[in-house]
Amino acid sequence: MKVVGGRRVFSVEEVTARLATLFEGLRSFWVEAEVQDLRPSRSQVRFTLRGGHVIDASMNGVVYERLPHKPADGGLVQAYGRMEFWRARGLVSMRVERLELVGEGLLRAQVEELRARLAAEGLLDAARKRRPPLLPRRIGLVTSADGAARADVLTNVWARLPEADVVAVDVPVQGDDAPRLIARALRYLDALPEVDVIVVARGGGSLEDLMAFNGEPVCRAVAASATPVVSAVGHERDVTLCDLVADVRVSTPTAAAAAVVPSREALETHLTDSAQALGRGLLRARAGAEEALRGRSGALARALRGRGELAGDRVERLAPRLAPALRRAAAAAAGRADRAQAMLGLLSPSRTVARGYAIVREAGGGAVVADAAGVEPGRELELELRDGRVRATATGRLS
Amino acid sequence: MTTEGPGEAPLTFEEALRRLDEVVARLEGGEVGLEEAVALFEQGQGYLAACRERLAAAQRRIEELTAEGLPPAPGEPPAGESEPPF
Repeated sequence: MKVVGGRRVFSVEEVTARLATLFEGLRSFWVEAEVQDLRPSRSQVRFTLRGGHVIDASMNGVVYERLPHKPADGGLVQAYGRMEFWRARGLVSMRVERLELVGEGLLRAQVEELRARLAAEGLLDAARKRRPPLLPRRIGLVTSADGAARADVLTNVWARLPEADVVAVDVPVQGDDAPRLIARALRYLDALPEVDVIVVARGGGSLEDLMAFNGEPVCRAVAASATPVVSAVGHERDVTLCDLVADVRVSTPTAAAAAVVPSREALETHLTDSAQALGRGLLRARAGAEEALRGRSGALARALRGRGELAGDRVERLAPRLAPALRRAAAAAAGRADRAQAMLGLLSPSRTVARGYAIVREAGGGAVVADAAGVEPGRELELELRDGRVRATATGRLS
Repeated sequence: MTTEGPGEAPLTFEEALRRLDEVVARLEGGEVGLEEAVALFEQGQGYLAACRERLAAAQRRIEELTAEGLPPAPGEPPAGESEPPF
């Protein structure tokens, strides 16, 4: 310091030294901010911590490298450290010792960490994926009883297959209990022998809302399920780990329904087409056989006549016997084909009913009753006739 | 016309449908003698009947359960103890 013309003048070093004393003894603290302008380097990682204002910050490169979850630019963090003053440039910056992700950034990092672990175990491999059966005996549904997803899936399943049989387990789809109870529901349904496919459903939501489906309990339960699992969680853009582990991933209730049940209408059409194809195939084979038989009968007669130069009298005797034998063989084959063909019509239940037969079921539209042996007197039955249904009671067995 | 030999598990709908499709394909492929055609036709009818039987057996039904009411799985943490998702 010098005094010039009544004015006290400091050197820069004196100013910075004085400022430095103000920063001595400051305590470390936590601050929450967005990380920006990350400049990683081996020795010193620099970045800014942004709230409404901005603080420059730095962290030891080795410590930074060891962070379990590194922040992305713009990610929300909580940083622990203290303010430092750099004398040479008169700058203030925060010396960060600990850096933790919070909010979405943390969730994303946790999801990514689990994804990598599941992938390393091969649980996301395409080769593990199984196709659900075409026509499941029963369908397991894991979702919230209050959610729109439940009604949407059921409506679409029944629209495709009105007879679909569903076991629905109500679970919380978010919150602390969700992972445990969703996993429990999955294990329970997997153990039910008739459940051939399980649908896990939830509407869209924030990353936090969907976290149960990004957690280990649910992913493990899905991976362990011997029954194929269809994941219908969130919308198209929200991919969860549950989606990745599941055998089938869908993003709409309509697609979920298509993944678990066939369209009744399409099946009926296919079966009818197949029945007709069988009939056509048989008729074609019969026509071919008759053709071949006619050809052979002619060839045989010619052959016999050819040899007949030696034994003409034998041909004369044989020919009348041979023709009827050939005709009989042809008729037998044709008859067999005709009988088989006739069964085509008999096998269609609706045509059977239309011809005056009835379908007998247990009362209340239950299982089809095919055998008299199981019908005790007094049993309530339902008869399906051409134009409606009739309630009936068995009074006794005839034979 | 049997689709299931003694001791064999009943065909699933899907299996019956797959075999039906195979039979149809062979029958439609031509080059099938009458004997074989009749046999294929009869097999096909069996599979058709099996498919229709499985479809007829299906019934619209819904059973409603709550996960809270189900037995906990072995190794599951007790209720109330909030489990970290990770």
